[in-house]
Formats: sequence, structure tokens, C-alpha cells
Amino acid sequence: MNNTEIIAELQPIFADILDLPDLRLTAKTTAPEVEGWDSLAHINLVVAIEKHYKVKFALGELQDLKNVGDMADLIIRKLGA
Amino acid sequence: MNDYGWQDLAVGLGATFEVLITAQMLDDFARLSGDYNPLHMDPAFAQAAGFPGRVVFGLLTASFYSRLVGMYLPGKRALLHGVNAEFKNPAQTGDCLTISGEISYLNEAYRQIEVKARVVNQNGKIISKATLRAGLHEQ
Repeated sequence: MNNTEIIAELQPIFADILDLPDLRLTAKTTAPEVEGWDSLAHINLVVAIEKHYKVKFALGELQDLKNVGDMADLIIRKLGA
Repeated sequence: MNDYGWQDLAVGLGATFEVLITAQMLDDFARLSGDYNPLHMDPAFAQAAGFPGRVVFGLLTASFYSRLVGMYLPGKRALLHGVNAEFKNPAQTGDCLTISGEISYLNEAYRQIEVKARVVNQNGKIISKATLRAGLHEQ
């Protein structure tokens, strides 16, 4: 899967967790620009993504992420590992 | 009170306790919440609505999820992040409720546990089911 395909899969996960059905994610989307994407919502997003892809993230990996595109890249690396 | 640290926790770890529901609990909950709906306060009103007596507040039964996390899973270091609860059946005063929960997921990065929990009455009927999320602080 490539970055764009992962982001398309993340779209409904984010929409559900953030309760934003009209949310449109791009690779450049960041937390501060999305309503309700606070620290607790971030944990919920990470847990939902872990469960969806059956992967586990380390805190250090998550701290390096700058946007949704980085998250998609991390997922690709995890799935390929 | 349990004092589990992160390293002590594992998927499948559980806890159970029982609570006898009294009329005084309903009175206290009404005073705390400000919810004096007659379904919970007036036995005659509740009976006219088809219930045997005062209906226990759903959130009173759900308040025991707070005890489950704060006293048992993980106990002392708990910080409750979220409760997704459904009320399946009404409870009555005099019911002996069993509250149980089991860790269903561990998020290592943010040290958050997920607990699948339920409240069951003395007849085995499910009163409430919930998914609880709690973090662990270091103190």
C-alpha cells in the first residue's frame, strides 16, 4: 500500500474517532487544524490505528510525526517490518 | 486499593466486586446529580410506568465503573480517560450487582488500558456494559 491508500483508509477512522463525518484528510493535515484533535483524541486515534492495522507504535515513533502523511509512512514501515 | 504499575498489567487481568443497591443510594445520587425524575424517586410513579419500584439511575450503576478503574484496574495510579456505556436493563433497589472488568487492550506508547466491563444483577441479567479507557500516572 502507498501513502495515499493508507490515508484513504485512515479517513473513516479519523472521522469516527473525532466525530467529524465531513473531515477530509490529506498528507499535510496536522492536529492543530482539526477540531477536537486534542491529546486524548490523539491517544484514541493511535489505539484505533493500532487495532486496524494490528501493529504497535512506540512513543518515540509517534513523537517524530509531523502530519498525517508521516503517520501513513510509519504505518507502511510497520506493515513492511 | 490495588496499585498496579504498567509492568504488572496484561490483557485478561480482571477484577470483580459486588454492591447492594439501597434506596439511600438513589437519594444520594439524586442530591448529587440534581436528577429528581420520579421514575427514580417515586415508587408509585415507577410502578405506574410498569416497573416493580424505583428504577436505579443508569449513571448510578455506571458510577461503579469509576470504582472498578480507580480501586481495582489499575487502582491507585488510574486516570479515567473515557467510558462508553450502554444500559441494557433497569436495576431496582435491593438488587445485588456484580461489577466486573477485564483488560482487553494495552497501548504501550501512552500507557492507556482498555477494560471491557459489565454490571450484572443477582439473576444474571446484564444491567450495563461498557468499554473503559484509563491511563496510568507515575505517582
